[in-house]
Amino acid sequence: MSPVPWQRLDPRMLLVHPIKEVAKFLPVLIGLLVAGGASGTGPWALLGVGIPVGLGVVRYLTTTYRIADGRVELQRGLLQRHTLSTPVDRVRTVDLTASPVHRLLGLATVVIGTGSVVSDSDERLVLDALPREEAARLRTELLLTTVRADAGPLATDDHVEQEQVVARFSPRWLWYAPFSGTALVGLGAILATAAQVNESVQIRFSEEDLAAVDLTFVVGVVLAAIVLVVALAVGGYLVTNGGFVLSRYGAAWHVRRGLLTRRETSIDVARLAGVSVGEPAALRVARGRRVGAIVTGLSGDQSGSAVLLPPAPRGTGYDVAAAVLGTPAPVTAPLLPHGRAATTRRYSRALIGALPLVAAATLAVLAGGPAWLLAGAVAAVGAALALATDRARALGHGYVDGHVVMRSGSVLRSRDAVAAGHVIGWNQRATWFQRRAGLVALAATTAGGKGQVRVPDVPTKAAITLAEAATPGLVGQFLEDR
Amino acid sequence: MSQLRDPAHRVSPRALLMWHVESGISALAVATGLGVAAVLLGPDGLRWWLLGLAVVVCATVAVVVPRWRYAVHRWEVSANAVYTQRGWWAQERRIAPMSRVQTVDLAQGPLARLFGLATVTVTTASAAGPLQIEGLDRPVALALVDELTLKADLVAGDAT
Repeated sequence: MSPVPWQRLDPRMLLVHPIKEVAKFLPVLIGLLVAGGASGTGPWALLGVGIPVGLGVVRYLTTTYRIADGRVELQRGLLQRHTLSTPVDRVRTVDLTASPVHRLLGLATVVIGTGSVVSDSDERLVLDALPREEAARLRTELLLTTVRADAGPLATDDHVEQEQVVARFSPRWLWYAPFSGTALVGLGAILATAAQVNESVQIRFSEEDLAAVDLTFVVGVVLAAIVLVVALAVGGYLVTNGGFVLSRYGAAWHVRRGLLTRRETSIDVARLAGVSVGEPAALRVARGRRVGAIVTGLSGDQSGSAVLLPPAPRGTGYDVAAAVLGTPAPVTAPLLPHGRAATTRRYSRALIGALPLVAAATLAVLAGGPAWLLAGAVAAVGAALALATDRARALGHGYVDGHVVMRSGSVLRSRDAVAAGHVIGWNQRATWFQRRAGLVALAATTAGGKGQVRVPDVPTKAAITLAEAATPGLVGQFLEDR
Repeated sequence: MSQLRDPAHRVSPRALLMWHVESGISALAVATGLGVAAVLLGPDGLRWWLLGLAVVVCATVAVVVPRWRYAVHRWEVSANAVYTQRGWWAQERRIAPMSRVQTVDLAQGPLARLFGLATVTVTTASAAGPLQIEGLDRPVALALVDELTLKADLVAGDAT
């Protein structure tokens, strides 16, 4: 058998890199041009353009890849040669990313996710860039091989010839943008910009300026800030999620999104351990949900790869989760509550959190401080009680239709479902207080996501029932009658 | 109604001694630090009381915690699973099926080597933490590593 030839990237990437490099060098270039214009040394400006173009050519000439003997191999580097090699059946995800420049040229960057914990950019399997069709073909080949390697009759069932679209972007989704995390990012950006401007311009307020501040002005500023935050959130949401499509094709789920930079993530069906339905407080108010995938071998911090649905209507969220899990029950069925002891703990913990504030306010008032400080303490207790009520209501677990389901949290509530076959162990943690109350924090460990799905304060017997239902015999052999 | 029982085996009795030494050293360091701070910074009339308090608290911790840990730390290996229990105030029980074991690791720190003890760490593909058994007699630890490696090898697949 003749060796499989090494393949090059698409020569059109020669255009991508110079354009990007020039953009990166733009400040330097302008500086050079200005300096050149002033002192009359033209050649230096040419050097500024030549270096990035040269780097692009070198990268093109030195980067080659191939798929041979069941391995993906990538060589790169001029002076320091790197050869990366990984078995094809270890490929968990394949990402196709196309920046506006790439899209203009009909190219896409391929990122191959193997689930290794290497974060060094030198060690990642990245092909920048291939022709669009070649990239899609490579993706199909990589993910198909994965399924074949796993073999079994399941693999053929998993294979879908016709692309099935499960969810598609709708302009109505923009309603959820201000209720998602992007709104907070927008607020942060505004505050940071304001601070920066203030620092560089050194705005000074005179007595008259402060006297001129009335209610209308304050309301105006607040309204302007809200409008700005909403606009930023909606804009950010649109840029990230515009053109979103979730579909099933071949042996993988495909997520396409991005208005400018188009990103396509493909998740091997066999590696999809479960889903996490995010229902943070703000999104609950807007009746929205988000859905993430728990993927074997893909850690939680590569969160961009695990999105199955950005903030979207609740119904769509449930539909997506049901389609991915193959059954709607894990995300819709009622869960077992954790009972009185767990509820009591939610309240005591929240109140203990509020205690320092109350103590500080009381001491301050006793020492002659203003009485309204006590109102603040009351408000803190009220907030703690509300939080505790919501947290207690969130607690739930269950074994539903072949999935371990756990729900907890208030501000950042999520409902996680992991298929029983992907549970690779159980952790039970209990402090002295929890042991006295007959509760444990139960975690089902899995090879994907954060490494576990976890719920606090499960009654000990319910924890065993859940573990026995999901992994029969595993925990059962360590029981005793008491 | 049935309940999860403790794992069958205790760790080596010498682990108790090692933990005493370990916590004794750190308690001494903390007590010294706290004591010096109390004597130098404490309010007049109170500083010697504060010093006494620091010493008593540290000594109690140094004596009680190792015993507590020894009472809690247990392990068991069945035909198809590993079961460990560790901690003291907060206790954690971990169960992993043999089919999901990825690596078995034996480690000896300088103090552990002095006492002839070893720690066996069993990892799975989960990032949520390995199963750890501290304070095993070295021969027991070596036999355990062999047993686990053998049993884990019998199962095909990549354990994810």
